[in-house]
Amino acid sequence: MVKKYLLLFLPLVLFLLLTFFLVKGLFSEARYEVSTQVDRQLPEFSLPDVMDEDQLYTRQVFENQVTLINVWGTWCVTCAIELPFLTSLREQGVRIVGLYFEQDLDPDFGGKSLQQIRTDIRQTLNQLGNPYQFNIFDVNRDYSMDLGVTGAPETFLVDMHGRVLLHHVGDLNERVWQDKFLALYQQAMLEQKNG
Amino acid sequence: MVSRWVLFFGVLVFSLVANAEEKYQFENPQQRADFLLLTKELRCPKCQNQNIADSNALIANDMKRKVHQLLLEGNDKQQVIEFMKVRYGEFVHYQPPMTPVTFWLYFGPVLFVLTCFGYFIYQRRRNDGQNVAQNITGSVDDQQIEKLKRAESALKDTQ
Repeated sequence: MVKKYLLLFLPLVLFLLLTFFLVKGLFSEARYEVSTQVDRQLPEFSLPDVMDEDQLYTRQVFENQVTLINVWGTWCVTCAIELPFLTSLREQGVRIVGLYFEQDLDPDFGGKSLQQIRTDIRQTLNQLGNPYQFNIFDVNRDYSMDLGVTGAPETFLVDMHGRVLLHHVGDLNERVWQDKFLALYQQAMLEQKNG
Repeated sequence: MVSRWVLFFGVLVFSLVANAEEKYQFENPQQRADFLLLTKELRCPKCQNQNIADSNALIANDMKRKVHQLLLEGNDKQQVIEFMKVRYGEFVHYQPPMTPVTFWLYFGPVLFVLTCFGYFIYQRRRNDGQNVAQNITGSVDDQQIEKLKRAESALKDTQ
């Protein structure tokens, strides 16, 4: 008899499960994000400074120092929004290196001149603050692809061994810094001090 | 009406092929076929639910360019897919591999149907068994038949 009543409730239970599943989908992140980069060593690269093509950087610039790598471009609206906050982080002593890429510089179509890019960068950074120690120019966006970058802005937290601790897609603001970055950053800084 | 659709898709397909030919040069037809297949099977990480052939996002164009470059360098299809997976995760390929988690994705529905079918058969057998048992006990229970007979004759007497 009890079994029969249990069977009677089975459709209701199934219905509730289905409802739960669908409602969860309604409020979940619309984008699926899994970074493959976390815990990985930064890939090798050799790229010029965006302001000076004779200045070449390699992976060594990320050794022995905890760094935020911020992927950005002057064409990117959200990047402009996060620049003031990033500048305030620099003022607190956070080392931030820009990985600059240009949207209009499509290898298939050509585009903006290097001179124009530099003028735009100077203008933007004068206006909104300059959080960067220097900017690596990802000319063909190959390095961005090696890092699994899907757009801008994105930010990586890299420890003193050049290992990625965190990959954040979207703008970096006070809330994200507090919730996602701070604990890991402090831990990495502690290691740097002791090491 | 039908011919109009045929024409529409014909133009569409032709323009896609023409587009690929225009923008990317290949050394042989196999590379072109691989390119077309790969750009259909690789998913755009920015504009999800589109493959990179369909998408015009910057990242999708960059990935197409990379696929082209890798094919020209002599990589085969699987190597190109691996290249993208290392950077963007399993997610980037539209064919999920068989893992303990995706096993349920692949075989869950089949298992569900089989389980239901098995339960159905089991129930039927059990019901049949019960009916047979009831028939047997019914025919063997002489006492009850006796009682009924007596009641019948009693009724007849009162009439």
